[in-house]
Amino acid sequence: MNQALATVIGMTIAYAASFLGLILAYRAWRSHQKKNRNGDV
Amino acid sequence: MSVTFTFLDWLWVGLFLLLMVGSGILFYRLGKRSESDFFLAGRGLPWWLPASSVYATHTATDTPMWITGVIYKNGMAGIWYTFFCGWAAISAFVSTRIFRRSLAYTQAEWNVVRFTGLGSELLRGWMAGWQFFMNMFVLGWVGIAMGRVCEYLFAWPTWIGLIVFSLVCAIYVLAAGYWGVVMADFQQGVIAFLVIIIVSVWGIHTAGGPNGILEKLEILGELDRINPFAFTGWWSGDFPIAWFITMMLIAFLGGFGMGTTIDWYVEAQRIQSAKTVRDASYSIWWGTILGLVRNSVWAVAILAFFVLFPGITEQSEYEMGWFRLGFDYLPAGMLGFFFAAILAIHLSTISSHLNLGALYATRDLYQHYVNPQASQKRLVQVGRISTGILLLGSFFYGLIMEDITSWLIFALWIMAAGIWLPNILQVVWWRFNAWGYLSSWIANLGFSWLVVWILPELNLIPHLLDYQQFWILMILGAMVYFPVTLLTKSEPMDHLVHYYVMSRPIGWWGPVRKEAMRRGLILVSGETTLGAEEASRPADTYPNTP
Repeated sequence: MNQALATVIGMTIAYAASFLGLILAYRAWRSHQKKNRNGDV
Repeated sequence: MSVTFTFLDWLWVGLFLLLMVGSGILFYRLGKRSESDFFLAGRGLPWWLPASSVYATHTATDTPMWITGVIYKNGMAGIWYTFFCGWAAISAFVSTRIFRRSLAYTQAEWNVVRFTGLGSELLRGWMAGWQFFMNMFVLGWVGIAMGRVCEYLFAWPTWIGLIVFSLVCAIYVLAAGYWGVVMADFQQGVIAFLVIIIVSVWGIHTAGGPNGILEKLEILGELDRINPFAFTGWWSGDFPIAWFITMMLIAFLGGFGMGTTIDWYVEAQRIQSAKTVRDASYSIWWGTILGLVRNSVWAVAILAFFVLFPGITEQSEYEMGWFRLGFDYLPAGMLGFFFAAILAIHLSTISSHLNLGALYATRDLYQHYVNPQASQKRLVQVGRISTGILLLGSFFYGLIMEDITSWLIFALWIMAAGIWLPNILQVVWWRFNAWGYLSSWIANLGFSWLVVWILPELNLIPHLLDYQQFWILMILGAMVYFPVTLLTKSEPMDHLVHYYVMSRPIGWWGPVRKEAMRRGLILVSGETTLGAEEASRPADTYPNTP
């Protein structure tokens, strides 16, 4: 495989994994805030 | 080159693999007890076990290749490349202690101990995702290095060495988790250290001993190779003094921070698996010292290789120098023992990164964000599934990486340059907050592409040396995270006081320390009062654990 393309693919996966973590964190935070507002916690 | 193994050689290899897999089965029951056992061996290890694991993990298949490469090319001056691990000399007594006191399983989790609120959670998620990738990437590059060794020795296709030995390693990691990793690391560390000494001394002896090497270097007109300070001026050449100062600064100041090198994340797991703060300190210090001794022995052996085979210009050829000393000169029957040691070197790194990547996926992503109520049995299952995903991902990365070096440098730069200072600030400066730290990570990812590849390709800036890239990335990053930190609120004082009492950080913590004293949580002597940690816990913040 062309190394420039391989690097782009490889690093895109890296960013995707990091952003997935970021999104998971945001979703968990929002759901916690919602529960807090509803007095569930 | 193609090596022919006798029956005795294969016997050594077979016995060694049996020992490794056997140890996994032996600790299977301990590993499956809980998440803490599967990932931290129950936090009860004496210092010498995580120390041997630190040493064994950082002795990878590609380590003798790149150390051989820099010494063969540059002589003893090249040894400074290996001194990046000097950070541990400081860290063992500073950040290691602070991190161990926090009881965080991972560096990602540490973010929600040090910071609070949405910013800290985003940081945790970001870092967990990044570390999951990073471990997969490391597994790929170490795996493909093994593939190349096997191709070199046995003329096997590269993928065989990549896949077969990682699969064998996965058996004991899946079975016993960190228990299997650390117990196997101890055996692998001992075997690897002994064989590194034997092969290197054998090579030095073959080249005529230290005096013989010196005489031959003189005849070759290469005597300056023994001078570790043979720099090429202040700014110019391959080895400018500016590069040396940058390397030393990165290494030693980095010890005050957490995550200042890629190795920290591996060490963080070993730190938390030690039974006390003192054991954690000893483990990091001794593990690193063993690594430095190993590097020094290797360096002399490579000088021996240089006088035996001078004038090799192909990097891929001279990088195999240390392996050649073993395979060309050891007697028949010992070759298998040497290959078993290479396997020890390989498996110790693979096992550690399989378990570490799975720790981030399980503890930070699954347990914290997806299923906080998961049972211990479920968490161990998820740990095993994550290990399997990492293994498969590493095959993909290994097979697409032809040019290991440029990937390696880029990934390390991404990890190190722009976030080097924030990694220190998070430990030593109370005012540094989650938004500042998160912005430094994201800014660094963008800047590193620009500075390393995009701008030089567009001829907007010249191709820079690595130390020049470091300083530019650091300055560009600082222009983002300092304003972000100062324009956003500091962490709540309640949270900072609790963190201070628990972790006892050093540096610029004056206002927090004063507040902790005002609340009667610490004494003027610096000692905490009885029950201070529990008393300082803020009433309601977003749940930090699990």
